[in-house]
Amino acid sequence: MGYLFNPDNWEWLTEGNNLRFLLEGFLVNLEIAAVAIVFSLYFGLLLAMLRLSRFRPVAVAAGVWVDVWRNLPLIFIILYLALALPAPWKDFYENNVPGFFPEALQSGRVFAGILGLVLYNSAVLAEIMRAGILSLDRGQGEAAASLGLTYPQQLRYVILPQGLRRMVPATVSQLITLNKDTTLVSIIAIQEVMRHGRILSSGFTAFTGGAAAPLLQVFIFIGALFVVTNFALSRLSRRLEIRERKRTGGTAGPVMGLEDQTALAAETS
Amino acid sequence: MTELWEVLSEHFPELSSGFWVTVRLVAISFVIAMVVGTAVAALRIAPLKPLNWVGAVFVEIFRNTPLLVLLFISFAGLRRAGVPIDAWVAGTASLGLYTAAYVAEALRSGVFAVGKGQIEASLSLGLDYPRTMRYIILPQAFRTVIPHLGSLTIAMIKNSAIVGVSLLALPDLLHQARLVNSRTFATNETFFWAAVGYLILTLIATVVVRRLEVRYAIHR
Repeated sequence: MGYLFNPDNWEWLTEGNNLRFLLEGFLVNLEIAAVAIVFSLYFGLLLAMLRLSRFRPVAVAAGVWVDVWRNLPLIFIILYLALALPAPWKDFYENNVPGFFPEALQSGRVFAGILGLVLYNSAVLAEIMRAGILSLDRGQGEAAASLGLTYPQQLRYVILPQGLRRMVPATVSQLITLNKDTTLVSIIAIQEVMRHGRILSSGFTAFTGGAAAPLLQVFIFIGALFVVTNFALSRLSRRLEIRERKRTGGTAGPVMGLEDQTALAAETS
Repeated sequence: MTELWEVLSEHFPELSSGFWVTVRLVAISFVIAMVVGTAVAALRIAPLKPLNWVGAVFVEIFRNTPLLVLLFISFAGLRRAGVPIDAWVAGTASLGLYTAAYVAEALRSGVFAVGKGQIEASLSLGLDYPRTMRYIILPQAFRTVIPHLGSLTIAMIKNSAIVGVSLLALPDLLHQARLVNSRTFATNETFFWAAVGYLILTLIATVVVRRLEVRYAIHR
């Protein structure tokens, strides 16, 4: 304990550019997470729709796809893609990456990481969204149909708005997991916060200034960065959720998870 | 196609030893996750505010920190600090405590689902708080959250690959697959068999959970 809290072992934080170096690495994690979240939500919804398709072969194929990707370890997927992704794919990414993407995400190597995150998380999110849609009463779709709405219209105006709202808490907790999982791309040598932490504590300090930082303290600090961000995210989503429920007067949906339901019951009663 | 079977037959010893390391890693971590998770859940719902806070801090720290960071802290970090910690201890403790935070939250929600009335009834019958938990609340809470615990176990099987990749002294399935790949360069074939290994484990877990659910789960 003495070692852990000894102020000498925390001095590295204020030396040179160390703090800034770590925060820059953390920013790369957040950027990767942001891009992966957008694509995962988009493809997750697409996969959920395909799974619920009325054309059996499509539904079955989407089901197999989702079950395979979400049952494999994410780190496995990322490592495999880094090794096996054909060079033309990476080139294609490098040539077509939108200009407004941050510099760290411009290289083709990041593509394997982002693709892995999206493949895995879109499958997991598809399953969450499907559960949200299935938890809706059948009557909703039937009522919409009897009002003369076509199937796409039923989805767009009746089923999706209600079904997706029900799975917001489950989605947010998956996105927090995604945020943590961005550290896994350090395994394929992408320069983010884990790599920066290792550089700081390796004694290779040519451009960080000062001596090697103690590894234990560096990674406790990195862990704290994630705890603060993710804790804030989950609190924020809980707030929004409760306000939304109060506004619409709805009750807790079955996909919320018991924890959210009890929290909601406590705060609205 | 022939190469697919060649990789398996030639490198079966490595891959299967990796498979069993993964199984052992998951089994030990599972026990840690359940025991610690139950204890933390009990702290979180204890009728004493400071205990609640201790439980909440544990959950928020271990749930919001990436597993990879926990592994760095518990193995390389402690070793650099002069604590000669074993790779197995660091690996199973990290994976177990990380999952324990989720288990605690699941159980806590299960306890809430059982309802305050039962706690009050039990206390008024003269059982003390620990016994109320042990005999009345937790057995029901566990049965309520069987599906949730099942998906946490499957997540733990997948997370075990992170342990194997970051701790070199722990040659699990993914670790062995990487070694085989670096010697054969048959990436697709090697990773195919590793994928089969992981899918077998997650499939078994899914089936077991479904069985337990049918037999014991209480639907509320």
